[in-house]
Amino acid sequence: MTSPSLSREWLRRNMTTVGPIVFVVAVVVGFQMMNPFFLRYQGIISLVYSMSYFLVAACGLTFVIMTGSFDFSVPSLLKLSALLCVLYIEELGLWVIPLALLVCVGFGFINGLFLAKFNVPSFMATLGVSIVVEGIALYLSKGFLQIMDDRAFRSLATTFIVGLPSVFYWGMGIWLISIFLAMGTAFGRRTYAVGGNLIGAGLSDMNVARHRIYVFMLSGLLSGLAGVLYMAQMGGGSVEMGADMAIPLFASVVAGGTALTGGVGGPHRTLLGVIIITWIQAGMNMLAIGRDIQMLTFGLIAIGMSIATIDRKRIKIIK
Amino acid sequence: MRMGIAMDDSLLEVKGVSKTFGGVVRALDDISLAARRNEIVGVVGENGAGKSTLMKILVGVYPPDKGELYHKGEKVPFPKDPKEAAKRGISIVYQEKGVIPWLKVYQFLFLGHEDKYVKFSILQTDKMKKHAAAILEELHVKCDAEAFMYELPLSTQKMVEIARAILSVRLESGEDGTTPIIILDEPTGPLNDEERRELFSDLLKMKKNASFFFISHIIPEVREFTDRVHVLRDGKLVANYDFSEEKIAEEDLFRAIVGRESSEYISKQEVKGVDRGAVGLTAKNMTKKGHYYDISFDLHKGECVGIFGPAGSGKSQIIRTIAGIMSFERGELIVKGHKLKASAPPHVRLRSGIGYFSGETGKELFFNWPIVKNISIVNMQKILGKFMPVINFNAERKMAQRIVHRLRIRTPSVNTDCYSLSGGNKQKVSVGKWVERKPDILLLDDPTIGIDVGAREDIYEVLSEMKKSGISMILVSDDPKEYSILCDRIMFVMDGRIQNVLGPDEFRKVVGI
Amino acid sequence: MKRSSGNRLIPPVIIRTLKNQPVIIALIAVFVMFSILYPDRFLSLLNFKTILRQFVTLTLFAMGPSIVVVTGSLDLSYVGIWMLGGVLVWLCMPVLGLFSILVILLLGVATGFLIGVIQAKAKIPSFILTLSLLVTYWGLTAKLAGGYPRIVRGFEFITAPLIPYIPTAFLWSIPIIFAAVFIMKYTRIGTYLYAIGSNEEGARLAGINVDKYKILAFTLSGLFTGIGSMILFQHLGGSTPVELKLNTLVWPLVAIVLGGTPLMGGSGGPQRTILGALTFTVFYRGVYLSPLHPYSIQLLVGLLLIVSITVSARGLKGVTIT
Repeated sequence: MTSPSLSREWLRRNMTTVGPIVFVVAVVVGFQMMNPFFLRYQGIISLVYSMSYFLVAACGLTFVIMTGSFDFSVPSLLKLSALLCVLYIEELGLWVIPLALLVCVGFGFINGLFLAKFNVPSFMATLGVSIVVEGIALYLSKGFLQIMDDRAFRSLATTFIVGLPSVFYWGMGIWLISIFLAMGTAFGRRTYAVGGNLIGAGLSDMNVARHRIYVFMLSGLLSGLAGVLYMAQMGGGSVEMGADMAIPLFASVVAGGTALTGGVGGPHRTLLGVIIITWIQAGMNMLAIGRDIQMLTFGLIAIGMSIATIDRKRIKIIK
Repeated sequence: MRMGIAMDDSLLEVKGVSKTFGGVVRALDDISLAARRNEIVGVVGENGAGKSTLMKILVGVYPPDKGELYHKGEKVPFPKDPKEAAKRGISIVYQEKGVIPWLKVYQFLFLGHEDKYVKFSILQTDKMKKHAAAILEELHVKCDAEAFMYELPLSTQKMVEIARAILSVRLESGEDGTTPIIILDEPTGPLNDEERRELFSDLLKMKKNASFFFISHIIPEVREFTDRVHVLRDGKLVANYDFSEEKIAEEDLFRAIVGRESSEYISKQEVKGVDRGAVGLTAKNMTKKGHYYDISFDLHKGECVGIFGPAGSGKSQIIRTIAGIMSFERGELIVKGHKLKASAPPHVRLRSGIGYFSGETGKELFFNWPIVKNISIVNMQKILGKFMPVINFNAERKMAQRIVHRLRIRTPSVNTDCYSLSGGNKQKVSVGKWVERKPDILLLDDPTIGIDVGAREDIYEVLSEMKKSGISMILVSDDPKEYSILCDRIMFVMDGRIQNVLGPDEFRKVVGI
Repeated sequence: MKRSSGNRLIPPVIIRTLKNQPVIIALIAVFVMFSILYPDRFLSLLNFKTILRQFVTLTLFAMGPSIVVVTGSLDLSYVGIWMLGGVLVWLCMPVLGLFSILVILLLGVATGFLIGVIQAKAKIPSFILTLSLLVTYWGLTAKLAGGYPRIVRGFEFITAPLIPYIPTAFLWSIPIIFAAVFIMKYTRIGTYLYAIGSNEEGARLAGINVDKYKILAFTLSGLFTGIGSMILFQHLGGSTPVELKLNTLVWPLVAIVLGGTPLMGGSGGPQRTILGALTFTVFYRGVYLSPLHPYSIQLLVGLLLIVSITVSARGLKGVTIT
């Protein structure tokens, strides 16, 4: 029994799932037609490289957007963590990784504290924190290009396992853990609750303020991890890295189907969004299309996908 | 029971107004009422009696299905929008949200009606201020036209809103001769006693400038300050009283508002005379200024205590304080021998065994979640794995199925999203999560507001079972029959103080069920 | 005894002004502090001129957005209008000649209107909408400019010196500031925008077409940004960069918040933004002249933003903050 109306109904319901998949297929087919190297082994390796660390950061942001908030500081924390790694690897060895993660979790905690305890809207609070983080990053790096030459550190991301670099497994691992966290644990359930009905969440068995702080700490942690992987993969960077990541990151989360209003979507959707964004990026790079057109595209995708995913029925007043 | 209106005196009259929503619910059925010059007409009734619908028809928010409108004896069509209503002299002051705190009084007074004060697109603020001051003076509103709205006391804010409504009628109708008819939609909701009295003394002074429809369900103030009162119940006009002829007793008015066929009232699920167990919760001299004073009582195991009183008596504030949504200023709240912090939020109270269930739709329900998640949100501990905080989906589903079965929730499956359920079933899901959680004390804040009789019966049944199993309850409701069904003791609260404590039988006699 | 007589000496007008606008105290404090710390460098004519130059930049950028912030929304598109406008001027120069500068104005109004319509109809939070649009404009700028800044000559008359030591752009900004303050204080539009920011539901109940006035707020913001950018275009060197700098984006925001316009809207506005911009500039110059490491200035600016937001977000209990 598949009457046309039924299939249309099914399509309407699953639009947020079907849409991104169609989008991905279109991207892949499009770039493959324009550049036959897109899906060759080398092409795939570059696709994997470009999406993996990005996926880790996007998972963190997804949790924040699920609660209806926004975290502007993800790219800055990514940069800070990467710089910490490259600057202190000689003194600390691999212990630099927990240090970097700890610092990022700390900044996530500050983000959450501003939102939950001081009632500062999250985008402004995280914007302020990210400026401070940028300042620290600038101070630490003195604006120079820093090269990472520790082999052990670099092998974190660049060891090849079954034909794919290890950073891919990191990304997928974090993604799977995020899905599990969102779907299978009380933490995830409460995250959805905060985004879905803040008052209801406050009346049920949870500490909303503390949970919001946890979510921002998780976002900080994953940003930091993404920074570590980024540094291990790229082998160097300056204070300029990650500068224009904010919008692509956001675009990838909403393109997957996690609406800005919170309470719906989740990390399982973010993979598709990340694939859309990073593969467009990679495809454009292969076609030698500059960063300018890329930014233009991501800006438009971000606006378009926000319009498509947002639940207008639930919003009375929008600021 | 007669209208007794001299035609020359009548300002606004509606005849035979009916309105149905979606062709099913009869919101208003053949309503006729009138307002004379310079009087305050009370329109009273329970929630959902049709007061608001009637008033919304008068200001042009809804069109009526049937009925006629007479203005000064002439037949006129019903207004199509608030602006047209203002031309006829009708304007409304909404219950809340009408005040714009960061505007100055004169700006607020003329908001939306600045046309006359614009010269070359410049606002003539001096002229506005002068006119505003003159109008405030004329209407006996004591405030500075250049103060910010938020600086004024709540009652004055309300008065400025009323002045604004009168002004908008004058500006829209163009002639100063029309006596404005101002609809006051439960104006005393956020006010405390003192502010209330102030508002009413000001209103009485304003009577010579306007007529008022005063919508309320607070009986004493209606009785004291209105000239006549119309009682609505289930969309029908059930009684009219003219207080200039006789002042009826509060109890009679109360009975007229809530009175229903008694067969509908006495539920088969009545449970009484439970043995008194140990004390579960003690309140000692709990006080929050402006809301309630010196509230002291004991709640025993398996007992249900009702906090009864008219709206605005402080009963909702008391139950919300116990739930942790509000904090108290003085006194103690003791649960199982432990003092609770005055400002502990709901989740901390829940840890000491106090659950809070509100019938207000959407307050505690997650609409875009399936039933199963809505039930498990307060029962996380039961469905998490032993060693890791991982949800056991099987246990979760079984728990939800148990609740759906027990509460007779009509749904295709436990995975159905809550927004697609009917009102009664939504309420059952809300209460179902507490059935599973089994808190020591369950607070019921209007548990069956706005749902049909069948669903009510089911909810009463399950609440009674919970009570039998030893769960204590505190009930606050707008509906007296709920107290008589569920409660073992009823505390009568007035002006934020406990007046006396009644047994269910005495209670029934007092409210006349 | 002495104190009470001192209190009587201060006119109540000043006390009230200080109470309403505590940023004045901060301004005086910062000014006095740096004057004492570095009397030679801070109290120099050159420094005042620089302060004035930076103040103009900040004010012209922040004037439009501060109208939007009054309604409780946020408009981050100003940098985008300025950048893209500059490139469009370069593109149009051969065709339109000196009139090409008006392209910035048109772009500003069109952008503001577009943002307003999308925000009101599609209901997207304005900060993310305008941020995405900003990035889009940035990409477009870089593409059209071909990757590096294009200098346009011929508009030097805009900033040609008139009065010694006072940047001409400052003179230009005076009527702009007055126009913005006038609209917000003395017209119906301003009253409605304050009403919407203070209580949107109430404004709707009062019969105000909220969507229309929100769109108008964004359009006004675009208009002021457009006018401001025409001057800034020349003021900042007759070209616009093709790289988006976080500082250009954030400093005007700091000026708005520092001035005391709460992000939730309802009060404040352009007149406060001027104070905020002045305070920020004085603070920035003072820190700049100090022996502090230049990189730590960034850090201080971030802290300033956080502190001022936190202060302005006080008393927001009961509002859902995300």
